[in-house]
Amino acid sequence: MPAREGIYGLLAEFETPGDLVRAARQSYQDGWRRLDCYTPFPLEEAAEAIGFHRDKVPLLCLLGGLLGGAAMFGLETWISVIAFPINVAGRPTYSWPAFIVPAYEWTILWAGLSAAFGMLALCGLPSLYHPLFNAPNFRDGATTDKFFLCLEALDPKFDVAEARAYLETMGPVSVVEVEY
Amino acid sequence: MAYDAHGKGLPADLGAPAFVDGWRNRAILVGLIFSAIAVVLAFMGQSLDPEHLGWDHFLRAWVLGLMLTFGFAVGGQALLMVQYCSGGKYGLLLRRPLEAMSGTLLLVVLYWLVPVIFMRRLYLWAKFSDAEAAFKAGLITQMQEHCIEFKRPMLNPADYIWVSLVCFAIWAYYAWRLNALSLKRDAEGSERTPYWIKKFENISGIGIVIYALTMTAVSIYWVMSMDVTWFSTVYGLLYLVEQGFQVLAFAIIVAIALSKAEPFKTLLRQREQHDLGKLAFAFVMLNIYLNFGQFLIIWSGNLPNEINWYLDRIRGHWGVIITLDFIFHWLVPFTMLLSRDIKRNKKRLTRVCQFMVFAVAFNQFWLIEPNFKDAARNLHFSWGILEYAAVPVAMTAFWVAYFCIKLRSRPLVQVNDPHLKEILEPEHAHA
Repeated sequence: MPAREGIYGLLAEFETPGDLVRAARQSYQDGWRRLDCYTPFPLEEAAEAIGFHRDKVPLLCLLGGLLGGAAMFGLETWISVIAFPINVAGRPTYSWPAFIVPAYEWTILWAGLSAAFGMLALCGLPSLYHPLFNAPNFRDGATTDKFFLCLEALDPKFDVAEARAYLETMGPVSVVEVEY
Repeated sequence: MAYDAHGKGLPADLGAPAFVDGWRNRAILVGLIFSAIAVVLAFMGQSLDPEHLGWDHFLRAWVLGLMLTFGFAVGGQALLMVQYCSGGKYGLLLRRPLEAMSGTLLLVVLYWLVPVIFMRRLYLWAKFSDAEAAFKAGLITQMQEHCIEFKRPMLNPADYIWVSLVCFAIWAYYAWRLNALSLKRDAEGSERTPYWIKKFENISGIGIVIYALTMTAVSIYWVMSMDVTWFSTVYGLLYLVEQGFQVLAFAIIVAIALSKAEPFKTLLRQREQHDLGKLAFAFVMLNIYLNFGQFLIIWSGNLPNEINWYLDRIRGHWGVIITLDFIFHWLVPFTMLLSRDIKRNKKRLTRVCQFMVFAVAFNQFWLIEPNFKDAARNLHFSWGILEYAAVPVAMTAFWVAYFCIKLRSRPLVQVNDPHLKEILEPEHAHA
């Protein structure tokens, strides 16, 4: 991918989650599609406001869980039935009740790991660089107490002057240009 | 930006909507119909079945109905106390439905009188005051004879009655106190709220401990002692979790049904409904955890005085029932409640919760019926066994009617709850 140059987008800062959500919803209604919200804590309404669609994390979680459970159950079965069969108080070698607990633990473990790492992978993380960190207010406040809406330059509607004027109408604390 | 001022107000009338009376009438009707069916089935079972156990089945099914309504009444009180100790928004939503549940204890006491009167038909230890003679006459096994004699100091009619009465007295005291103080709190201003929060916390903390003890005692006397030979130390906890399971499911059904009209229309936001669904999911997991834990330990031990209880409930086609029980009680609620969409959808969450209440009754059937000689390791059709579908429905229906009366008797919202302000804020999605 060639190095990008020029403007990444316009970043508007808002004081409260409510302001951000209303601005985001307005923008989406007005036809903006390349836009994103940045909040210091999960804000489901913001995601909904910008046309959040379903992602593949639940599927990854399910697959990870099923594979983990099946793998452990299979391992236990293989050990007890084929590799090292022992007579435990006359029970059958395939004693499934005893296999449940480790298989369950592995289900949880792999479901959790798949969800966490799957989420990171689908988000494109880890990433060494993101243009938004060029904005000082974003660096300082995005993870503590500020709410941001970014209209990205990739959007066909994007024009620096018009987009800035548009964002100004929604009462942001500030609007800054972000370079790649 | 005047965003925060968008908060909605509450309607002037905070009472339960009038359609609750409609529920009451419908419940009474269902109760009457199923009572008639139950009586007919008892006569049919008595005359048509080869074992002639129609009325015995009626009594066993009655115990199921007793455990179910007892679970709602006393479990509701327990969840109320848990909420007082844990705090949280769901208290504002569920407090009045839970109080209404806890206020129905009187009906449970009346229901309990039936097994007291017919004790000898339900409990071997009550039937045979001379266990040795019963063994010699071939009526019971040597193991049963030994257990009846050995457990006599605990399992005898007098103890059964006074222990139950003491437990009822304790629950009645707590139900009365929690309900009365709650109204008193309503009458005072919000500046007194911190005092009341502390007060309820202090009452409830010790109350939960006492509930766990009394509940264990009663579940042992009423159900576990039907099989004199068996014991499990986790038995009380199983019932405790079961009650949390059924109470939460029922409370969600009620809250969603109430949300057709004010004040719950405003109060029950999607977010809180989602949270309640998650809490129900936790009970689903806890329930299978304890049930499977008990099974795994007894299966591993494989001791003759323990394993028979499970063999009675697995062999002779009972395996079908326990498999279905696993599916109804865990697999279905688990997979359904995993879904975020179902938890946020009123209609679907109601369906899941209704299914959960059914699953509790189904599980009780598996616990109760195989205690008896004619049914252990021998699941078979008889007219009498259909009582399990008639008697508990009738008893629960009458209980629901009583619950509706209690629900109508006080405002549905406690206006000095500190969470009220937050819950009245519109969700951002509606801003």
